This record gives sequence, structure tokens and C-alpha cells, in this order.
Amino acid sequence: MALDESPSPPLSSVENNFQPFFVLHKASPPRKSAAKTRRRIELSPNAVEDSPEGYNENLRFETFKFLWSRNESTIKEVLKNNNAEVFDKIDKWISESFNSICAYGKLDYISATRPYPHLDKASISTSVASHQIFTALLCTKNMEFVDDILTFVDLGAHLRSRGRYVANLTSLDFTAKNGVGGCLKSLVRQFLMVGIDAPDISILASWYTEQGNTGNPMIVIIDDTERCCGAVLTDFIIMLREWFIKIPIILILGVATTDGLRNNLSSNACSYLSLCEFTLGTPAKRMDAVIEAVLMNKSYSFGIGKQVSVFLRNYFLRHDGTLTFFVRALKIAMVQHVYMEPLSFTLKKLVQEEETEGIGGGSTLGKNLVKRALELPSPMRSCQSRENRNDYAHGLSELKRLRKLWSSMVMCLYEVGKYHKITLLDLYCDMLEPVPCDSRASDHLQLSKDNSISSYNRHLLGCFQNGGWVNRAIQIVRDMPAVELCKLLKSWEMLTSGINEIHDKVMELQSLEIHEENRQKQGMTDISKRSTARNNFSDKMDETKIKAKVATFLECMVRECMQPTESMPSNEIFLFNNVDKLQAALTGDPRRRIQTDLLESQKFLKCSCCSKSSGVLSPSMHDTSIMYSLAQEHGDLINLHEWFHSFKEIVSQPRTQAKQRLRLSPSPKKRKACQQPQNQNESSMQARFCRAITELQIAGLLRMPSKRRPDYVQRVAFGL
Amino acid sequence: MGQEKAAVEAQMILRRRLCNPSFIFSIFSQSPDSNYSKLKYIISSSVTEASNNSVLLLGPRGCGKTAVLDLVLEELVEEHAEMVTVIKLNGLLHSDDNCALKEIARQLCLENQLLFSKMASFDDNSLFLLSMLRECGLAHKTIIFVLDEFDLFAQGKQRLLYSLLDAMQSVTSQAVVVGVSCRLDADQLLEKRVRSRFSHRKLLFLPSSREDLQRVLEHVLLLPTDSRLPQDYTATFNAKLLKLLADDKFKEIIDTLSYSDSTVGHLVRFLFHAVSHMNLNSGGFLSLEIFKAALPSLQRQPKLEGLKDCSILELYILVCMKRLEVKELESINFNSIMKEYKSVHDTFRTSDYYARKVCLRAFEHLIECALISFEDNKGHGQSVEFRPVKLLITWHELYQGLKSYNFCPSILHRLMDREGVSAV
Amino acid sequence: MSKEESPQINRRTTRSSYSNTPNSKTTAEDSKTTINQAQSLSINDFVYGDESKTLDELINSFPRRRTQILQLISLLGPLNSPMIPLFIYGGASTGKTSVILQMFKHLNRPFIYCSCVTCYSPRILFESILNQLFLHRKNVSNGYVSAKRCEKPSDFVNLLREALSTFVGSLKGNLGKSSSKKLSSPVNGIMVYLIFDNFELVRDWDKSATMLPFLFNLYDILKMPEVGLIFVSKTSPDTFQSDPGYAEPFPVYFPDYTEDDLRQIFMKNQANPKLYSSFLEYVSQFKRFKLFVYFLFILNRAVLGHFCRTTRRIDELSTAFSPLFKKYCEPLGDLGTVPSGDMKRELFKHLQPFISPCMNETFNVTSQSFCKASAYKDRTKRNSIAKKLGIESSDDFDLHMSTSAKYLLISAFLASRNPATLDASLFDSTGGPDARKRKRKSTEKSKEKKETKEQELLLKGPGTFPLERLLAIFQCIADYSPDGEEMQDGGLLYEDCDTGLMSDILLQLSSLCNANFISKGASCPLEGSIRYRSTVSEDIALKVARSLKFPLSKYLYR
Repeated sequence: MALDESPSPPLSSVENNFQPFFVLHKASPPRKSAAKTRRRIELSPNAVEDSPEGYNENLRFETFKFLWSRNESTIKEVLKNNNAEVFDKIDKWISESFNSICAYGKLDYISATRPYPHLDKASISTSVASHQIFTALLCTKNMEFVDDILTFVDLGAHLRSRGRYVANLTSLDFTAKNGVGGCLKSLVRQFLMVGIDAPDISILASWYTEQGNTGNPMIVIIDDTERCCGAVLTDFIIMLREWFIKIPIILILGVATTDGLRNNLSSNACSYLSLCEFTLGTPAKRMDAVIEAVLMNKSYSFGIGKQVSVFLRNYFLRHDGTLTFFVRALKIAMVQHVYMEPLSFTLKKLVQEEETEGIGGGSTLGKNLVKRALELPSPMRSCQSRENRNDYAHGLSELKRLRKLWSSMVMCLYEVGKYHKITLLDLYCDMLEPVPCDSRASDHLQLSKDNSISSYNRHLLGCFQNGGWVNRAIQIVRDMPAVELCKLLKSWEMLTSGINEIHDKVMELQSLEIHEENRQKQGMTDISKRSTARNNFSDKMDETKIKAKVATFLECMVRECMQPTESMPSNEIFLFNNVDKLQAALTGDPRRRIQTDLLESQKFLKCSCCSKSSGVLSPSMHDTSIMYSLAQEHGDLINLHEWFHSFKEIVSQPRTQAKQRLRLSPSPKKRKACQQPQNQNESSMQARFCRAITELQIAGLLRMPSKRRPDYVQRVAFGL
Repeated sequence: MGQEKAAVEAQMILRRRLCNPSFIFSIFSQSPDSNYSKLKYIISSSVTEASNNSVLLLGPRGCGKTAVLDLVLEELVEEHAEMVTVIKLNGLLHSDDNCALKEIARQLCLENQLLFSKMASFDDNSLFLLSMLRECGLAHKTIIFVLDEFDLFAQGKQRLLYSLLDAMQSVTSQAVVVGVSCRLDADQLLEKRVRSRFSHRKLLFLPSSREDLQRVLEHVLLLPTDSRLPQDYTATFNAKLLKLLADDKFKEIIDTLSYSDSTVGHLVRFLFHAVSHMNLNSGGFLSLEIFKAALPSLQRQPKLEGLKDCSILELYILVCMKRLEVKELESINFNSIMKEYKSVHDTFRTSDYYARKVCLRAFEHLIECALISFEDNKGHGQSVEFRPVKLLITWHELYQGLKSYNFCPSILHRLMDREGVSAV
Repeated sequence: MSKEESPQINRRTTRSSYSNTPNSKTTAEDSKTTINQAQSLSINDFVYGDESKTLDELINSFPRRRTQILQLISLLGPLNSPMIPLFIYGGASTGKTSVILQMFKHLNRPFIYCSCVTCYSPRILFESILNQLFLHRKNVSNGYVSAKRCEKPSDFVNLLREALSTFVGSLKGNLGKSSSKKLSSPVNGIMVYLIFDNFELVRDWDKSATMLPFLFNLYDILKMPEVGLIFVSKTSPDTFQSDPGYAEPFPVYFPDYTEDDLRQIFMKNQANPKLYSSFLEYVSQFKRFKLFVYFLFILNRAVLGHFCRTTRRIDELSTAFSPLFKKYCEPLGDLGTVPSGDMKRELFKHLQPFISPCMNETFNVTSQSFCKASAYKDRTKRNSIAKKLGIESSDDFDLHMSTSAKYLLISAFLASRNPATLDASLFDSTGGPDARKRKRKSTEKSKEKKETKEQELLLKGPGTFPLERLLAIFQCIADYSPDGEEMQDGGLLYEDCDTGLMSDILLQLSSLCNANFISKGASCPLEGSIRYRSTVSEDIALKVARSLKFPLSKYLYR
């Protein structure tokens, strides 16, 4: 018990950290039960592995907390940077449009708070009709809204930091029930920090003028515009337009697609908006950024193996396209890894060492740990069991180096792949698989893995057929325009810095490219104008030569340093590769779980009475489970009378008879046996029956009798 | 220049008269058998012989119910000053009993220099009312309750009416309830318990006859000779006016006016327009042209105006809807209209076939200017193009509109003609 | 003009004007503030100096509004003359509000304006009227609350009476003073005018049944000759018919601009700020201004006629024209240059292709915005490279959805598009449509029957469907396979979602509902009999299907 209690605190914290996730999926039961099942799952490995050694749990817990906090911070960072430039653009746009609002002239207090529209400077007649509200459409090209909640909060914070007045509204403020008053109320609450019943918009005007016309517009961010009640939103826009100059409000509407807005608003409300579209990074991009930050750039920290990554990828593409889910999955994976993997706690130390570039990791590891470490299959494979610490430490550093190499190479390939719209996620999954050239290190477990993987790959990564992505990449490099090529080389130089053996090669290639470049500088310059510029023959010649060089370089690089992670020595420390546990933890299936639990309740409540009798209904079992297992015999309609009778029969038979009833078929003897417990009265029986039925109904397994067939209940859930 | 000033002055006088109904209806005060005299008699008698009474003034709007009542009350108040207290309620404001009683209490306090507490509850107010009734009855004071828009009081549970009329059953109290309503069946709305306590005196105010209108015209338009207007101007003005009133063409105009609506209120609106344009053209005198010009501005045909304001695309949509209506579809919505529009376009190769969005905008314009409307107010969940709509203009109106619309594409005319054949 | 100093000036003048009458302090105070308010009408708004503009200026500033203006002025009548309620109506952007406001600027008469857009409920309407009468502005000093709290019409009438009487009294006092020294107070007359703008919106209020007759009868209820009521509405008076009826106000009609009027208006862009202000950034210098005039010339000659066939509203036209003008200005580098004759012709040639798409577009998102442009640019570059590499990128549907969500979307679309009776024939056990059955069906079905069926499908719009049906269809199409690799895909899709098919699909459904792709009808969740309806348009569904290589059209019931 203690063992499985201790994981639960981090898990609960896991849950809490992902508010957005739960905002979306709150209504749905599976998450709760998922937590339960997870705990049950972890119970077994801990019980199995840890009890012999008796590592202290909190060391693991420490490790987990340490690792995850780092991961979390990096993820947050990455996401922020991902949106940064869009935010800056929006800010720039805001200041521009605010200037063009100011072009209509500033107003003093009296004229600003006047109830009738401002008579315009631009001419004699009022030109309210011509005004359009400046509106930014922030397209989150994403159906799921979870990932973007934080984005809008960040945007608000960002703009506030620039001194704008910002209010964040959501679709809850635009309900048909409250009407315009609702959103005005929340606007007033956010800007003025006062609650006013029946607010009107003139309040905002006077408040704004009281702020003393600092050169800052008021910005209203509406998170999920598609979900707003269209009529209310329309009213709001028309109202804003009436106060256009007096209240310089700039709207930022978060939408999934552009035409979603059009369908929601009335046409004249649309014509009142002057729209400017901004696009957030696509979820795939974000995903890549996260992967790069979390899985690539840290050579020592926790990583996920082939199967898990493929599973996560499929899950991302097929089921739950949210980044939030992915991060959550990573977290769970990490939890499981830390608690299953005996040596996992060394991770913390290793990571710390990575900061302070000190090698000799194993120095502080207890002796038995090292022994244990050397019993891992992969070190066996690599260094033939000459067990001493230095070798182990050496092995670790070696491993570190290899992973560095590997990740940098993957990044290089990714650079190439960018022209091909290939996501880092796919690449990662693909590259974890050993490249055929060095598949010597593989026991049949590995083998089985491999062909399963390849079977995955064939359909997963469509473009990876015919000899893997590598050949494809080489092909791409071969016929790539020179401009792109030198760009590519630059990026490679950036990536491979720190790994000298690749780096200098890249350098020399680049030098070639460079002098190539300034040979055809003018060619380059007018490429930009006329695409047919580059057609003098000699240039073409040695350009192709260079390309060939690059290609060959890439090829040999891949052959040398793309040692598959799973064949590295002692990779188990880093790589979590247990799909089934993760999957079970992620997709708990409540309905099915309920049914199974009902059917074999004795497995859980390990009572003495019905532990031995497997699958036989005994009166000592819980009523509901009896009822449900009885219901299995019926079709989708259950006759209540029959059901009740069979129920009564089972409950009213004495315990002792339970076994005999198995063997000998119904006999007068049993009949007699049935007579004697008749004394326990009918009504209590019926009461139990009814209670059981209601419980089943509440569990969502039954539907109560309908008007047409009053004596039949309907089964809702079938088959496991 | 004196002329100018005089004209402006005269216009002011006339406008004041027109905006003051009690002046307009004061001419009826002379005749003995007019509603005025009857009402006067009823109320004054009940005041003098200290009895309870109740009367209903019924008649369409603009026949001077309220005006006559006000005249009567004025006179009564100045005849026996402290004997009467007038409490005025309006169904539009005080239809719910609670605030009606509150208002009564407020006015009573105002009359008798008592201080009125806003916090008083319903029961407090009703008690207060009863006691006041008793007090006034003992003091031989009459309280006159004027219930304007009487039918609105008759909605709901009629607790107010009941409590009033019930209180009036006692000998001590001394009150008159005057109900004013434009529903001729107002007394049928009363509950039994209320009706049984209600004296069924009714005064009917009917739209006035030609002669009355004529008298009203003279009464209103003739300038007073004893004003500070220059005499000669007044003389010429009145002379012109009398000549005009005698004129048959003018009579025609009045007839056409009263043909649609012969109430005094209507006439007053007509005169107001005429008078306000007095100085613009035809310097300073009322001429036939002015009245001619005033006529159409009152008799408007908003649907046709709306049609004139339509763009050609909107006309297309209307015609398509009309075609669908003739086909007797059970219901029409934007999609079916678009289908029809497309088919029209395919058959006749019209020059203007526009994108769906633009059509939707036009469709919304039409809804906005109330030429078409949604069948029901509910299905807000559904998007606009699926909600059933109905046409608010007849085939004839549409036909007229198309005819009067300049540069209307001939194809629309042809379509309409065809529809006309199949429709009629 | 220096708007900052003018108020102080006239405040000073008013003070001096009252310095000789210290006894009537309150009225002085009151009327001073009145004057202030009146002057804030009269001075602060006049961009052309502090003298009110003449009638001719007024008329010239509104082309083709002469008759309406004259009529209104004569109906308002000379100073201090009472008025029966007016009802001004006419289509959107025909200058109703502007004309009225400018006219009061011209007449310098005190008025109270409240638009039913801003005052979205009776209470706010009442309170804003009272605030204006009490010269009360919501601000931080009074905690942003209005002068009097008033919700019921009865309270409103009482409050309004006393407020109006004090206000008129102060006006009278002010009049008496200003009669002595002529120019001191710009406020004219003792009449107060109440203007209700956007009056048609009152019909949509939930209390409209009582509010409409109340507001229309307000004049009779008040019985104050010093009050003039003006209702401004987009719709004609006959759309306000309500059961109890009311004293009809006097109608004044603003007709829509005809095409010629529009020509004239767009030509004299001084008087029409609508285009002008929308082109401020372009038309700031005189030369550009000339360019703009040329553009307008072209508009009148070629384009305007076409646009007028779809809409005749100035605001919509101007919003439609602004991108055209930008396009028009594109070819010449700096806008300073005045184009010569052939240049102009070239410009027009450049413009021509953009006209018809612009006419068919009601809702234009600025693509010229730099960020979009840059994003667009590099995407195109990528594409071009991709082209070079011989791969075409297919990003027609750029909304990120998980595969199962896409399938779910499609199945929802099918479920609400097809009649439920046809499901069996459409999806047999193996999934994929059975061609023969379909054909026989279609042949034996007679033509007009299909017609009517389709017609009412079109009418009903997307139908609703229970969750079970959705799931069934989803099962059918999700393991449908266009080619081998998809087959495996399907298999795998089940391999790892067999465990959590139900839960995951329900999650997907919930998030689809949140994204407004599926709308959910209310029902008892325990019974599980909620009905859904898909709200996606057909082309979106087709796009999604294309992204899945799923032959949607085969399944659609036609």
C-alpha cells in the first residue's frame, strides 16, 4: 500500500497542472478512472522490482520532480518563444491602427462622454458610418481549444507589458441569456475593477478619458469567437462602432478558421470590422519545437523509445491532437519510467553533471548499483563485463556522446526535411529505429521489435519507403538550388557546433560553398529577380560537384554516427519503451472497466467466501454484481420478472449449497433446500433488487422501462 | 418685414393651438348634446350630491376622450375648488396593481400635503387609500379616479379595480371612477365581481362628421382678431382662409383625408404639416398648394418606399420568393430561394448573378427593412439560411413596386407578369 | 481650431455675465452648466469655428437631402414653437442621424439624444435620459453610477416630469438673461427635444409590448408643450404595430440614395468623408488627392453601376471600394505622382480584373497586412521548392484535427445529411457503398419524388441524429480503406483505440461540439438520448474528406 500511495501525490499534481486539459474534458469520466488504473498498474512493478532492493522511494520521487520541473519549464519557454514573433507583429499592428484612430482627433472629457456620436473633423457631416473597428483575427489553426487557452493569456500579459489596457473575454460572456449587458459588465469589471449592475458603454468612455489619453488603446481579446452567441456579438460590435472615436477599442478575435466568424456574425456586423489576420504556429510546429527542446537538446535526460514515440505519434495524429495531451503523456511516461527503471534515479545526478561538465558519473553510485547497472543487457553487449566503475562511467560518457551525435544528426536531417514538410515527430520515430547497416546488436526481442516497427513505418511515414528517409534526404540534397544549399549548410554549422568531428567537415564544405558563392554572387543577386538567371554552364558544373560532396558527406555521417539509440550501451537508463503500460495509463476505459469489475468482483474484494468459487454466483456476492452477471444471459431486453426470480433464487440459496449446485443439476433435494430460507421476507428481497437495478442504471448500464414495455429494461452497454 | 414677423407670429399661434388638444375640443363644449356636456353632468352631479359613480369613455384614438375629460375636470376644479381631488393613472404606467396603488397614494399625499413614503407596502397603501376615501367621504370631498388606457387595468387579476369599486359601495365614500379606453369592448374585459360593481355608463366618442371637421378647421385655423398681430394681416389671412375652406378642391382634399381616417387627431396632424410649411413657400398665408402637399406626406405607402430602396439583387430575391409562394411550398428559406434564383439565372441568362455571400447580405437587408420576416422567433440555434421566412408584401404591391422602380431589369417584369397569370 | 481654450473662454464669459446677478445663485449655477452643456453642443463640436453654420452650409453638406432638411426644419418650426412627435425613417446610412444632429447644431437648440444601440435596455434608456437632463456624467467621482436609479416607466415619468420642468425653467431663466446681452448664450429657445435613435431595436426588447406604446404615447402622458419627441428608425412606422395602438407620430421619410445621388456623393468627396476617411493614409497630400479623384472618376464611369445592383448603402460601398483603391494605387510606386493619360488607362487596365471578385466578396480580410504577406510569401517559396523537388503540397484544409475527429466530423455530416432510413443501404457490414443497390434504388425512384425530397432536405437543413447512429456510421466509415496502407491504418487505429474507443470518441465529440462543428440539443444525459446536428457546410466536409482520401460523394444521398 505504501508503495502505491507514494506515486499518487505526483500524479495528483500531474492532474492539477493541466487545468486546460480538464477544462475541456471535465465532463468525461475516463480521466478519473485513468488515474485509478494507473495506480493499480504501478503497484505491480514496484512491488516486483523494488521490494528486494528497497530503494527509498523518495529518492525516485526526488528524481522525478527534478526532471519534470526542468522539462516543464523548458516546454513553457518553448511555447512562449513559439508565439513571440506573432505577438510582436500584433503589437506593431495595434500601434499602427491606434495611430490611424488617433488621426480622427483626440477628444476632451466633455465631448468624449457625450451620448450622441462624435461629429467628425474630416468633414461637416458625421462619418460614423465609415468607421471600421480594427480587428485582428488570430487564427489558431486547431480544432481543439485546449492548447490555446494559455496562448491567449500570454498574449494578454504580453500586451499589458507594453502598457496597453487589456481585457480577456471568453464565449461565456457572450451568452444569449445575459445579452450585451453581460459582456459589458465583465469589460467594466476588468478595466475599471468595479462591479456595476446595468453598465452602459459610456462608462468605458469616461474611464478612458480619465486615464488621460495615454497613447494606448483599449484591447479586447475574445478567446473563442466561434462559440459566442452570434447575435450578442453582433450587438456588441455595433455598439462599439457607435462609440468608435470616443473609445479606441481594438478587438482581437481568436478563431479556428476565418469563415467561422463570417457564419457567426450578421453581414453588416462583418462590414463594420476591418480585419487583419494573424496565424499562430500550427500544433505540428509546436510539437516539433517541444520535441526538439525536450527530447533532442538534452543528451542525458529522459527520453522515449521507439514504440512509445510511435504510439504517442499515432495518438497525436489519430485521437487527441492536443499538445497538452502529449505533454501529459510524456509526464506519465516519465513517472512510470522513474518508478520502474531501477537505475533511473541516476538520471538526476547525470543531468546535474551535464550542467557542470564533469565526467565520472558513477563515482558516487553505490557498489551494488554499479553491479546492478552492469547486469543490464546492453552493457553486457558492449563492454564484455569487465566491471569497474571507470568503465561504467566511461560507458556513460560514451553513451552521452553517442546521443549527442545522434540528436545533432537528426536535427540536420530535420533541416533537410523542412523543405519536405516532414515533422520532427515523424523523423524522431523513424530515426530511433536502427539503420540496417549496423543491426548486429540485436537479440530476438530487438528483432521482433524491429519488424513490428518496420510494419508500423510502412504505413506511418509514407515517405519513408524505398530505403528510409536518409536516402530520400540525400536525394533532396542532390537536387537542391545553391541558395538553399548554403542556407542548409549554415544551419548545419549551427547545429553541429560542439561536436568537432562533424563540425569541421561541415566547415570545410561550407568554405567550398562560400567561395562558390562569391564566384557567382551576381548570379545569386539576380536569381531573386529572374529565376532563369542561373544558366551559365561552369557554375552548374561545380555546383553539382559540391552537391555531390555534401550528399556523400551526409551519407557517411549517417552511417557513422547514427548509432541507433536502442543498441547503445545501458540505454535503459534513459529510454522508456513500455507502450502497454503507458497506453493502459492513458486510455482508461470506464464503461468496460465497470463491466469487468462487476463480473469478477471477487478479484478485487478478496473475500474468503467467494475467492475460491470462480465465476459461480454465490449469495455472498454483492447484489449488483449478481444482477449484472445474471443480465448477461438476456438479450438487450431483460424481462424484469424473470430477472427478479433468478436473482431471488441465487440470493436465497444457502452458502453451503453454492458448490454442490455446480455439480449436480437441479434436483428435488435442492428444491427442498430452497424452501427453508423462505423466511427472509419477500419485501427486503425486492428492495435489494430495486437498489441493484438503480445502481446499474446510474452506472449507465441499464435504461429504465419505457412506456410501451413497462416490464422490460433495456441494456445499454454490451460486450467487453 | 412686418409681414414676415406677423407670419411667424401667426404660425406660432396656430402651432400652439394644434399642439393643445383641449383648445381644439373646446368647441364641442358649447353644444348641449355633446359628450362634453354629458360627462360634465355625470361627474358634477355625483360631486354635488355626494354619491359614488363610474363611467367609461370609449372610442378610437384621436377623438378627444382625454381632451374632453381634461376640460371637464378643469372646470369642475375651478367651480368647486377643494371639493374634488383628481387622481390620474395610466394603464401604460400603472398596469400592475402594486405600483398603481403606490401612485395613488403618492398623488393623494401630494394633494393633501401629507408626506409619502416610498417604502410603503401594498397593504399599507391600500389601507391608506381606504382610510382616505372614508375621510374624504366624511369631509364631502369627491375623489375622481381617472384611469387612462382602462383596458390595461382590466388585464391580470383586476385587484385594483375591485378594491376601488368595492370601496365605493359603502355610503361613506364619495368617489368617481372614469375609465378611458380605445377598446370599445373594454367593459367586457371586466371580471364578474368587478362588472357587477360597475355602473355601466358609457360615453362613446366617434370619429367626427364632415360638418364637425369643418367647424374644427375654422375653430383652429382662424386667427384671433384680438391678438397683437397687425390687423390687416389677420384680416387678409382669415379672408383667404374662409375662401379656401369654401373651395370645393379643398373639400375634396379633406374628404380624401377623412376617407382613410376621419378622426380629429388625423386632421390635426395634417394641419400641422400644412401650417409648418406655411412660411416656406407662399409667404405667410395658407394656400391650397400647401394642403395639397401635406396630403401625401400623411398617406404613406411604406412597403412601396421599401421596394424603391431595394437594390436590384434584392428585387431578384423578392421575385424568387414570390415565385416560390405561388408554387405553394409549405415553407421557404434562403436555400430554396437561392435554388430558385439559380434556376432563373440558368433559364434566362441574366447579367447579374452574384455570389452566395452577397445574396445573403441582400437577404439580411430585406429582413432588416421588414419586407420579409422569419416565420418563427425560436430556431435561433439554426443558421439564417435554414430558418423559414415569409414575404410581407402582396403580389400587387410587388408588382406596383417593380413598375415604379426605374431601371428595373425587364426580366423581372416578365417573371412577375407570368406569376400574375398563374396567380390570378 | 484650438478646442482646448474655447470652453474656458466661454466659461469666463458666462461667469462675467452672471457676476451682476449674485442673488439667483442656484439658477445661475444651473443655467451656467446648462450653457456649458449647450456650448459643448455648440462650440466643441464645430470644427469650423464657434459660429453655428448657416442653412446653406447645412444643405450643401448633405447632397440630395435638401427636401428632407427643409421639411424637418419647418416641422421643428420657429423658436419656442411646440411640436407634435416626429418619426424619421429610412434605410441604413441614409444620413438620418447625421442630418438631425447637424440640424440641431445649426439651430442651437438643446436636445437629448439616446440611441437604442447604446441603451440596450429600458433601465439604461431611462437613466441615460435622466443623466443628460441632470447634466450628470458617470465618472470616477460618482463611482460610475447614474444620477437616479429608475427601472419602472411610472417612476421614469415622474422623474422625467420634474427634471424637465427644472431644465426648462433654467432655460427660461437663461433666455431672460441672454435677451439682455445678445451673443452671450448660444442656447436658443426653451424647447427641449428628445431624440430616440435606432428606435427599431426597441421591438426586440423583451418588454417591447409595453415599451413601444409607452414611448409613443410619452408626449400625451407628459402633457408638456416644451418637449418635442423625435423618433429615428430604420424601419417604417407600420412595422411597429402593437396591440393597444398608440398616437401615431408624424412620419418623415428619408429615401435611399439613387445611383445618380451616389455618383454625385462619391464625386464630391469633401462632403462625403466615408471614402475620404477610409483613405486617409493614402489621400493625405494634394497630389494623391488628385489621384483619388481620378479613381473616383473611374468608379463613376465603370464600377459604381455594377456595385449599385447589389447594394446601395454608402458604408458598404465604401468598404468595398477601399481595397479597390489600394489595388489601383499599387502599380505606381509613390503615390505622389500624378498619372498622365495613358498611365491612367494602364492603371484602369490593372484595376479591371479585381473588380468582379471584389463585387462578389462581402467580407474581406486584409491580405496586404505585412505579417500575413510574409507568412504567405515563405509558404509560397516552400511550395516552389517543393515543386522543384516534384512534390505538390496539398494544404487545402489547414485546420488541425486528429484523424478520428475528421472521421467523426464526416460521419456527423453524413448522419445529418442523409435520411436515417438509407443508412442500411449505404453502409453494409464491410463498409463502403454497395454500388448495385444504390443504382437500383435510384432508377426505381421517380424523378419528381427525388426533387421534392431534395427540396425538403434543403429546407430542413441538417437533420438531427442520436449518438448511437453517429457511432454506427463512424464505425462503418472509419475502417473503410481507399488503398492498402489506409487499411493497415484502420487496423492500427483500432489496435490502439480498441481499448478506449468509446471514451476517446466521446472526447472527440465533445471537442467537436465546442468547436461548433456539431451542435448539441439539450436532453437528459442519463438517458443518453441527446440529439446532435452537424453544422459544417458541404465544402468543408468535402475538404476534410479529401484530406483523408475518403470518397464522401459516394456516400451522399442525392
